[in-house]
Amino acid sequence: MLVKIPSIANIGLETVPIDVEVDVASAGFPGFTIVGLASKAVEEARERVKTAIINSKLDFPGRKITVNLAPADLPKDGAAYDLPIAIGVLLASGQLHLPKEFNLSKSFFYGELSLDGTLRPTRGILLLGLFAQKIRASSIFVPAQSAYEASVVKDIAVVGLNSLSELILHLSGAKVINPLTHSKAKKKLDSEHGEFDLSEIAGQEQAKRALIIAASGGHNLLMWGPPGTGKTMLSRSLPGILPPLTLEESLEVTRIYSVSGLMSSDQPLISKRPFRSPHHGISTAGMVGGGSNPLPGEVSLAHLGVLFLDEMPEFQRGLIESLRQPMEDGTVEIVRVLGHVKYPASFTLIAAINPCPCGYLGHPKKECKCSEKQIIKYKQRISGPILDRVDLFVQVGVVETEKLSVTSQNKAYRLSSKEAREKVISARKLQKQRFKYEKRNIYTNSQMKNSDVKKYANLEKEAENLLKLASDKFDFSARSYFRLIKVARTIADLEDSSSIKPLHMAEALQYKQMI
Amino acid sequence: MEYQEIDNWEKVSELKKLLDLSTKPKHLYYIGNLDPQIFKHCAAIVGSRKMTSYGQTVVEKMAPRLISQNITIVSGFMYGVDQYAHRVCVESGGKTIAVFGWGINTKLTGNDLKLAKDIIASGGLLLSEWEEQKASHWTFPVRNRIVAALSDAVYVVEAALHSGSLITARLALKLKKELFAVPGPITSRTSFGTNKLIADGKAKVWLGQDAINILQSVIDDPMLQILDNEALSADELALKLNVPISKIGAKLSMFLLSGQLNEKGGKYYINYVS
Repeated sequence: MLVKIPSIANIGLETVPIDVEVDVASAGFPGFTIVGLASKAVEEARERVKTAIINSKLDFPGRKITVNLAPADLPKDGAAYDLPIAIGVLLASGQLHLPKEFNLSKSFFYGELSLDGTLRPTRGILLLGLFAQKIRASSIFVPAQSAYEASVVKDIAVVGLNSLSELILHLSGAKVINPLTHSKAKKKLDSEHGEFDLSEIAGQEQAKRALIIAASGGHNLLMWGPPGTGKTMLSRSLPGILPPLTLEESLEVTRIYSVSGLMSSDQPLISKRPFRSPHHGISTAGMVGGGSNPLPGEVSLAHLGVLFLDEMPEFQRGLIESLRQPMEDGTVEIVRVLGHVKYPASFTLIAAINPCPCGYLGHPKKECKCSEKQIIKYKQRISGPILDRVDLFVQVGVVETEKLSVTSQNKAYRLSSKEAREKVISARKLQKQRFKYEKRNIYTNSQMKNSDVKKYANLEKEAENLLKLASDKFDFSARSYFRLIKVARTIADLEDSSSIKPLHMAEALQYKQMI
Repeated sequence: MEYQEIDNWEKVSELKKLLDLSTKPKHLYYIGNLDPQIFKHCAAIVGSRKMTSYGQTVVEKMAPRLISQNITIVSGFMYGVDQYAHRVCVESGGKTIAVFGWGINTKLTGNDLKLAKDIIASGGLLLSEWEEQKASHWTFPVRNRIVAALSDAVYVVEAALHSGSLITARLALKLKKELFAVPGPITSRTSFGTNKLIADGKAKVWLGQDAINILQSVIDDPMLQILDNEALSADELALKLNVPISKIGAKLSMFLLSGQLNEKGGKYYINYVS
C-alpha cells in the first residue's frame, strides 16, 4: 500500500513543499530503501525509524519498504523526515488508522526520532509553521521541545509531541493532545534593554553621542582607542538605544535563528535586536554563512541588529573583505554544492580598533612597546573598502580615574538609554517620512546614494561653505564629502531641523575619517 | 638613486667645519643637487626614535622658525624625531640634510624612500661617509659626529637617558657648538635626557615662542582660555564647561577650521604659530 505524506525542505530561509511517499509492498524480498537525493542524515533514518517503531511496542513490517522524497532532484538534508517516514510506514502497513475527518494532505509531520521512540528538538519549526499558514494547512505535528517556535503563527494547530506513541494515541483518538495556545506571541516587544545603560558609562561623551547618531541614521561606526577605555561596553549598550523590533522584523530575525537552531525554549520570538560579536578567529563560512547545506553566518545572525568586530585588524583580511557584499546589499549569497542560498544580512557595523598592536600608543601613562614598522603594518591591515563604508569615526580616549569622580557629580548631561532611544525613534520617524516616495526600500540616511543626498539633504549654503572649507583643509575624498553630509543630515534630524545648519555640519566634522 | 662623491671635500670652504673633528671622514658621498651654500648655516634637530605627540608638536614649531632664518636643518634620518624634522622641513619649503648611519649605496624602501625622494626634490641632500656599509650599532654614533660638526647649533627635542641623541649633544659641546634642549615633563621617559642636559647646565633651554608673543594672542572664548592652560580632549572640555558634547564638537570643528586650534591624538591645542 502506498501513502503520501506532505512535508517540507528548508533551503536557506525558503521553504519548499515535498512529498514523503512510503510504499510497503505486498510481495518482494524484505528491505528498506530511501531514495530522492537523501543526505547521510536522511539515509540513516532507516535505522532510527525501524528501532523507534519497535521500541514503541509497534510492529515493523518485514516486507519491502520504499521511501521516496519527491521531487527527486532536490537535495534533502536533516533528520526531520524521521517522523513522516515512521507515520508513512505505520499507515502503509495498516497499523495506524486515521479518523475519517482527518485530512492528511493538510497536516505536516516533522521531527527527529530517537531510538526509544521519543522526539528530539528539531531546527526550522518556525519556517514550517509559517509555510503551513501560507498554504492554509490545518495542523502541524512537531517535537514538543521545539513546538514553541511555531506558537506565534496564527490559524494553525501546533501539536507538540514527546514521542511516537503519543502521536499514535492522539491520532487514534485514545488520548488527545491539545494544540499550543497562540497567546505567547503577544508579548510586548519594546521592553528590551541593552546589556549596559548609557548612564552607567562614565565619560566618553563623544563616543556616546556617536552611538546615538549611528543608531538614528543606521551609520556604521568605528571606535579607535587603547584597550580598557570602554569600546566593548559602549557597543554593547547600542542594542538598548536602537528602536524596538516591529513584529514583522522580529519574525524575520526569528526565522534566521530558527534555521540555525539557535532558539532558546523560553521565548517563541526573538524580541531583542541581535548583537553579535564574533571572535577574530572565526572562519569565512562562520562569518558569511556556509557548510555543504549553507547555514546563516554571523552577518545574517546580526540581521537588523549590530555586528561588533572587536580588534578588527586581527581578523583575517579576506574575511573582512567578504563583508563588502552584505554591507552594500543587505543580503548575502552563498553558493554551495547543495544549492544557492540567499540570507538577509542588513546590520550596523561597529568596529573597534586599537591604535597599535600593543594598544598603548598615545596612552598618557603606559608606554607603547611597538616598533614603527609594526604600527604601520597594523594600520595597513585595516581594509580600505570597509573604511569607505564607515560613516562615523570616533576616538575613545583613556578616562583618567581622577576625572571619573568629577563625572559622577555632573549628572546634568548623563543621558539614559531610554531617553536616547526616544531621540532615536523620533529621528527615524523623520527619515521614514523623508524617503516615503522613494521606490527603493530605504529607511535611514546611511542608505542614501549620492543622488539621494543631493535630493534630500537640504544643506544650507553656509553649511556647504563650511564643508568646502574643511575639505580644503583636511583633504577629503569625494566619498568622505558625501559621507559627512549624510552624518550631518542625521544630526539635523536628531535636532528636529529640516535643513542642515552650519552647526550640524561642524559637529559632523568631528566624526570624520582619521585612519 | 645615483650617488656621487664630493671631490676633495677638505677643499670646500663651507665644509671646513668638519676639519675640527678628531677623526675626519675619509670620503663624503651624497645624493641630490650639490650646492655648497647648503652647508653654510646649519642647525641639527635630533631626538628620540620614540617620538611622543609632544615631540611632534615641538618639531612642528621649531623647524619652520629655523627655516625662516634660512638655516639648513641637519638630522640623522632615523625614524622618530629625526625623520619628522626632515618631513616638516620639506613640507615647510626648507632645505634639509640627512646624514645616513649607513652606506650611501643602501636601497631604501617604503616611507624611507618616499622621504628621501622628497628631501632631494626640495633641494636637500642625503649624505654619508661610506659607500658600502651596513647599518650597525657603531655606525650611528659615528654618524652623529658629522651631524654635530656640520651644525652651528644642535637642538635636542626629546631624548631618553641613554639615547644616541645625547652622544650628538656631547660631541656638539666638544666642538663648541651651541646646544639647546627642549624641556619636557619630568614623568616622560623621552624627556629624561633633555631635562638632565638642562639640569646639569650643559644645554640652553629652548622655550619656543617668545613669552611676549604668547601673551599677545587674543583669547576671548572660554574654551580657548581653558585650552591655553592645558590640552584637552572633547570629552574633558564638555565636562569642564558643562556643555553638551554636540555643542562642544561643533565649536571645536569651527576653531580647527579657523586655524585657532590644532588636534593631535584626540587632544586640542592652541595654535600659536598662525
